[in-house]
Amino acid sequence: MNKNNVTQESVNISRRSFVEKSATAAAVFTIAPGVVLNQVHAKPAAEPVTDAKRWGILIDTAKCGSGCNDCVTACHEENGIESHGRPLTDQKWIRKIKLKDNLTNHVVSLPMMCQHCENPPCVDVCPTGASFKRADGIVLVDRHICIGCRYCMMACPYKARSFAHEAVDNKVEFQPRGKGTVESCTMCVHRVDNDGTPACVEACSSNDHGAMVFGDLKDPQSEISKQLEKHGGKQIRADLGLNTGVRYRGI
Amino acid sequence: MLQMKNLMHKALITIAGTTAVVFTAFASSGEKPAFAPQVPHPTNGSTECVEPVDDMKKNHMEYLLHQRDKTMHQGIRTKQHSLKECIDCHVPENTEVRFGDDKHFCSSCHNYAGVSIDCFQCHTDRPVGKNPHKSNAQVNLPLSTDVADGSVSGASNE
Repeated sequence: MNKNNVTQESVNISRRSFVEKSATAAAVFTIAPGVVLNQVHAKPAAEPVTDAKRWGILIDTAKCGSGCNDCVTACHEENGIESHGRPLTDQKWIRKIKLKDNLTNHVVSLPMMCQHCENPPCVDVCPTGASFKRADGIVLVDRHICIGCRYCMMACPYKARSFAHEAVDNKVEFQPRGKGTVESCTMCVHRVDNDGTPACVEACSSNDHGAMVFGDLKDPQSEISKQLEKHGGKQIRADLGLNTGVRYRGI
Repeated sequence: MLQMKNLMHKALITIAGTTAVVFTAFASSGEKPAFAPQVPHPTNGSTECVEPVDDMKKNHMEYLLHQRDKTMHQGIRTKQHSLKECIDCHVPENTEVRFGDDKHFCSSCHNYAGVSIDCFQCHTDRPVGKNPHKSNAQVNLPLSTDVADGSVSGASNE
């Protein structure tokens, strides 16, 4: 009994000291009621990504020009994707499409790519675990273990994935790609891990179109969260319940 | 016939003996025999690898494999055990030497040992800088193709 009491006491002490330490830690970040320091740090290279963030892109179709394909060009340039002159089988990580409302005949132009779903069908069907979702919401293909079965291509409702039918001659350092595997938009994960912005978003804003916003959906202070709160953002095929990371305005 | 056999035996013993002498000589002098792989030295003049050289000779594939999975699945992008760093340090920039040539850092040993690797089917086998495509590649893709019906009413090519 005594022994139990001692154990209980030691537990209480450590719990108390934990609560005190937590209070001190909280005090560091809270200066005054309502004023909280938001410290932004680059993720150290040695630390794994966590689910504290969820990356997303918001696309304003009102600002997306129907003839413009700056995002497509930037993506393919960044990731070393080249045409083999066979449009049916060439890889496409991002493409421009038109959506038409048959009731009103209203047409919008928008870029379509991997929507980085919270519940991705491509991950569900992958027999090897090559198709996976990272902790921060980015959906990727691990081409080291992809066997090229292309189930994911059939499962994706957005036709976002492509199969590499041919060997890649000009290889890009940060985006290894090769024959016989499936590939799709990586949300420029090599840039994101270094606090960068995806190439498509960068091209859109640097060319003064400003139709795309990239950011952390879980951070209420991020630009994308503020815009989503103000204007809202729709998912394409919201009926599928995939909770996409890519949202659209004006559809 | 017996004489022939004896001759063969003697010849074999002589060859084995000579080989042993050659190996002993190399072992004692610390030099490599001429037929051993000539591994290119780091291009940055460094004399130390990311781990002790003996360890790297034996275990580099383990380091690369673990780093591969950490980078791919967890976004850990440390340089110490990354394939990119091997290439950046051991293969000169703007080199014409490609994987498969005996002069390539990886091929020099792998050709000698008869070990096939498929890293370079996807990864670049030389330092290419940030993006080689900006200078020499043609990006010539159509704007779009078909798409499944969207949530609105219909989708079409642009």
